[in-house]
Amino acid sequence: MKYYECNLHTLPDGSDSPSRMALAAKKLGYSGIIISNHSPAGVAFRLDAAELVRGIEVAIGAEIVATDQRGLHARAASLRDRADFLAVHGGDERINRAACEDPNVDMLAHPHGGRTGIGVAAAKAAKDNQVAICLDLGPMISLRGGSRVRWMEMVRRDLDLIDKFDLSLMISTSPRSHLDLRSPRDLVALASLLGVERERALKALALPGSIVELNRRRWASVGVEVL
Amino acid sequence: MRTWLPVLRDRRRYFAIEVEAEDRVRRTDLASEIRASQTSLFGDLGAARNRLRIISFDGRFGILRHSHERTEECRALLATVHSVGGVRAAIRVRGISGTIKAATEKYIPQSTLQPDENVRRVDSGLVSGSVVRVHGREIDLCPDDQKMTEGSGTRYVGLTSFDLCGEDTDADGTSDGL
Repeated sequence: MKYYECNLHTLPDGSDSPSRMALAAKKLGYSGIIISNHSPAGVAFRLDAAELVRGIEVAIGAEIVATDQRGLHARAASLRDRADFLAVHGGDERINRAACEDPNVDMLAHPHGGRTGIGVAAAKAAKDNQVAICLDLGPMISLRGGSRVRWMEMVRRDLDLIDKFDLSLMISTSPRSHLDLRSPRDLVALASLLGVERERALKALALPGSIVELNRRRWASVGVEVL
Repeated sequence: MRTWLPVLRDRRRYFAIEVEAEDRVRRTDLASEIRASQTSLFGDLGAARNRLRIISFDGRFGILRHSHERTEECRALLATVHSVGGVRAAIRVRGISGTIKAATEKYIPQSTLQPDENVRRVDSGLVSGSVVRVHGREIDLCPDDQKMTEGSGTRYVGLTSFDLCGEDTDADGTSDGL
């Protein structure tokens, strides 16, 4: 299967250039990376250099940071045609829900940043609109002690919800430097501690690649492809 | 009298690891960091079951021993290490094996050349490796694939700058004409 790291931040959001990230990810065994910076698609340092790295697919996505629902829907509609992959920076309960209600959105990134997780209403909406939920393992790596315990409790609850509604899952560490990257096997091992079985974790790592492939096709209208 | 029964022997696995860090990493710092993240993730009980030890560590590559039943858990706890001795770092598991010998031979680079930051890389279709020595137009290359020099008894591949000209479009291999 082709594994993708689906929520990378490069310069100026992160501290590494896209080509450095691509090289590091290739070394760790990924088939592709999706660069989703907070700034609009296309604004990243030396994207052209990343395309010269052979043996790894570099997709340009975007991550929407919105403060209200209207802003989110407007940004999603305007970015949809330009980005191969559209993520929303979650965390806030209202933003999580608004992201799940928008069919333009591919993935809800780090929904566990705030106090609550996704919640039942948002999970239902995510099912209808085919929005994937990203299990962001960054906090598991960087946090220790009580804050990590609280994070794990929240994730455990949301994984039950994801199971219940059969939502699509993606796994990432939201890396901002090559030192934040972890290999697919490391992610599988970390996810298994949270109760995600191996098969499911591998599927979650391969899902972003197939979504990018779908998004890159040129659709004339729903179900009609321009060849 | 035997000291221990062979059937009750502990079974072990060995990780070959590489530590990627922004600065030099000392063995004691690495050991305390691994111990801290292990206790934080699994507690004393899990730590006793993992039986994780550092067998050797040279500042970059190392061998860790652990219980053969707890491979996934140990892999996860190594993944949670994000800094060593106050320096940002990451532990990469290069491979896993049942004996120290096999782990060393298969996954730890045997070349005398330490893959250092000052070494130039060459990546063109057939040949890839690190430049060891440049003398005029002659270039000695330590290949990534050790099999390349098999049969010749040499450690390095001999190239000239003519071989590498016109490869300057590749971001992977900074082969800028030399």
